[in-house]
Amino acid sequence: MRHNFIDRYALLDSPLHILEPRTKLLAFTAMIVAVLCIPVRSGSLFVAYFFVTAILMGISQIPLNYMVGRTLVILPFIVLASLAVPWKGYLGLGILFVRAILCLMLLILLTNTTRFVELLRGLRRLGCPQILVLNLGFLYRYLFVLTEESMRMKQARDCRRVGRAPLREEFRILSSMLGTLLIRSFERAERMHYAMLSRGYSGEFPVVSPKRFSWHDLVFLSGVTIFIALTVLWH
Amino acid sequence: MHIPDGFLTNRIAASLDVVSGAGILYAARRAKVDLSGRIVPVMGVLAAFVFAAQMINFPVLGGTSGHLIGGALLAILLGPMAAFLTMATVVIAQALFLQDGGLVALGANIFNIGALTCFGGYAVYRLLGGGSARGKRMLLAGFLAGWASLIVSSACCALQMSLSGAIPLRIGLTTMVGYHTVVGIFEGMLTAGVLSFLLKVRPDLMKLNDLGRFGAADWVGATLFVAIPAAILVLAGSSRLPDPLERLLAITPLLSGGTEPAKLNSTARYLDYLVRAGVFVLLVLLGFVASLLGRHRRRRP
Amino acid sequence: MDDMSEYAVRITRLNYTYPDGTRALEGIDLDVSPGERIAVVGPSGAGKSTLLLHLNGVLSGTGSVRIMGKSLEQSNLQQIRRQVGLLFQDPNDQLFCPTVFEDIAFGPLNLGVPAAEIPHRVEKALSDAGLDQSIRSRTSHHLSLGERRRVSLATVLAMDPAVLGMDEPTSNLDPRNRRHLIEILSGLKATLILATHDLELVLECCSRTVLMDRGKIWSDGETRSMLSNAQLMEAHGLEVPLSLRKAVVGG
Repeated sequence: MRHNFIDRYALLDSPLHILEPRTKLLAFTAMIVAVLCIPVRSGSLFVAYFFVTAILMGISQIPLNYMVGRTLVILPFIVLASLAVPWKGYLGLGILFVRAILCLMLLILLTNTTRFVELLRGLRRLGCPQILVLNLGFLYRYLFVLTEESMRMKQARDCRRVGRAPLREEFRILSSMLGTLLIRSFERAERMHYAMLSRGYSGEFPVVSPKRFSWHDLVFLSGVTIFIALTVLWH
Repeated sequence: MHIPDGFLTNRIAASLDVVSGAGILYAARRAKVDLSGRIVPVMGVLAAFVFAAQMINFPVLGGTSGHLIGGALLAILLGPMAAFLTMATVVIAQALFLQDGGLVALGANIFNIGALTCFGGYAVYRLLGGGSARGKRMLLAGFLAGWASLIVSSACCALQMSLSGAIPLRIGLTTMVGYHTVVGIFEGMLTAGVLSFLLKVRPDLMKLNDLGRFGAADWVGATLFVAIPAAILVLAGSSRLPDPLERLLAITPLLSGGTEPAKLNSTARYLDYLVRAGVFVLLVLLGFVASLLGRHRRRRP
Repeated sequence: MDDMSEYAVRITRLNYTYPDGTRALEGIDLDVSPGERIAVVGPSGAGKSTLLLHLNGVLSGTGSVRIMGKSLEQSNLQQIRRQVGLLFQDPNDQLFCPTVFEDIAFGPLNLGVPAAEIPHRVEKALSDAGLDQSIRSRTSHHLSLGERRRVSLATVLAMDPAVLGMDEPTSNLDPRNRRHLIEILSGLKATLILATHDLELVLECCSRTVLMDRGKIWSDGETRSMLSNAQLMEAHGLEVPLSLRKAVVGG
């Protein structure tokens, strides 16, 4: 299991990377919503958004083959959607495909130009409930610990395996692996709680994050706003 | 099962965003009541556990592979409220890390994979007496909870997409629900398997409490939370649809692409039939199971 | 009732039983003077870690625990936790924030240290723990075990505690990291209570040792003489450390 799906390209140095996370969260969400609101008939708007997205992809310095590779995620849904062709026609399928790809690219741009911890800080300051941000932080922090543990368990099991066991046995083994991982998670959570208490935790999580809005953010946000406003007016 | 952006109409996506958002805010408020703050690290680490566990694939029907979703299991261990928050965390993380599921579609995905599995699974578990039973009966309740959670979740997912006009109703429902009915058996077995393991090794973990008690008011709230959107979806497809709403659906972008209201009606009638048939089958199943359990009970001295 | 004594830590007749009924601590009496460094040794399961958890009220049993003269009560636990720092055995349990900076800042922030002062505290804690400032923005899972150990120490030092409890600080460390940690420990001014299996560490750092086994204290006194008492050591599942054995054999 590879760990590099997180923050893989987040440490690059592009004009998008240096933007404040709140800026990116707001801007890209707005773009995605805008794309989803493009009326079906207006092909020119799709083209406009396509160009802007392509430009953003270019300046982000994220490898193109990586981004294209990510489109595999929506493949099963495209396949399902293609079954609707008798009712919707190929045009309908095509439009669906374009919308989905555009939104996906925008999402990739958002998440891959920002370190996850920065993203969390941005979410918090945009008003996301603290407990959600905390959970996401813990998930991020402990994912690696847990995957390492599960890898080690899997290796230990593989060392003791001879051939394939009957299905029932496989299930028992998988259940006990998951169960052990679960128990260890609970125990870790308990020890973590002790450590938190020892450092003065009393139920609230204090936050300190420096304000880092700069003129870059202003320029980017205004650019996006103007673009979206123009496209809305055009229609 | 994580719906990407573009496959739902804006209305459906937005309304589910609102519903899920409200659910999260409410659960977050309940979390604050837990003054020792102990539930916070538990939810966090378990979120990592679920995420990691979902990446462990096991072979299903030679070729495809499935993984444990874990919503029902978490709900049984932590109570549905904390489980819902945890699953919501996982869904959001999957969207941000893996782009598995869209941004605007987050509400729908949280609802399907978070709310429906947790509340639905928990409901099945409690209704089958899982709360107070031990041994085989509890495991059976766990199995059915896990299984049901996937069926309900995938059905809703398919419904959302077909009513958005993205996928055809009959085929979409059949394939998604059909696939998840089979995979759901594994979910059920793993849920029961893990519960059984815990019973042997750490039975004290089975008594972990919810964020506060899950009382009658919560049951009502949870039912409404799950039932109202489900009802809206079903009604939207039903032939008893009042005209204005029908026209509303007809003018959303994707639907105007090809599906005419007339066609919607015929597929909607099929949906009606399907829902009734499904409920009937579920009742028969529950009855069968109940009689099995009854016989099992009577046979013990 | 406050005790105006000069002890940093005063434990009297402490008993603790786990929820499942196992008796973890029985009749523990322990007095530690300010600035003293004591070691708590004993076989696994003796109750060393459990004892440490009583120092700041994470666990509370019957009997009394006094830190700097103040008796531990529900109402003053926050105060106590300012003065007592605990270093846990597994750094992964202590490093739960997304970045090192946030982990180290966590303690001071909870204590109400103003936001403007936090960066300074973090900087000082990092240098006290022998770490480079550049480690601030990294995530703990990218660090080596030695670095994680020291970051954990930094998270505790950032709160400037008067009493430091440590659970197996040198476990799993390679020789170089172990040496580095011992150097850091030697430079600390706080009262030190080290629970450890590393008897050479004990010989180097602690003039006084307490021997625990099965929840009770069996011996409390000068380190060298206790650790060279082969009969006592073996009776409680320990061995005379190598460096002392050579001395015994030679002498």
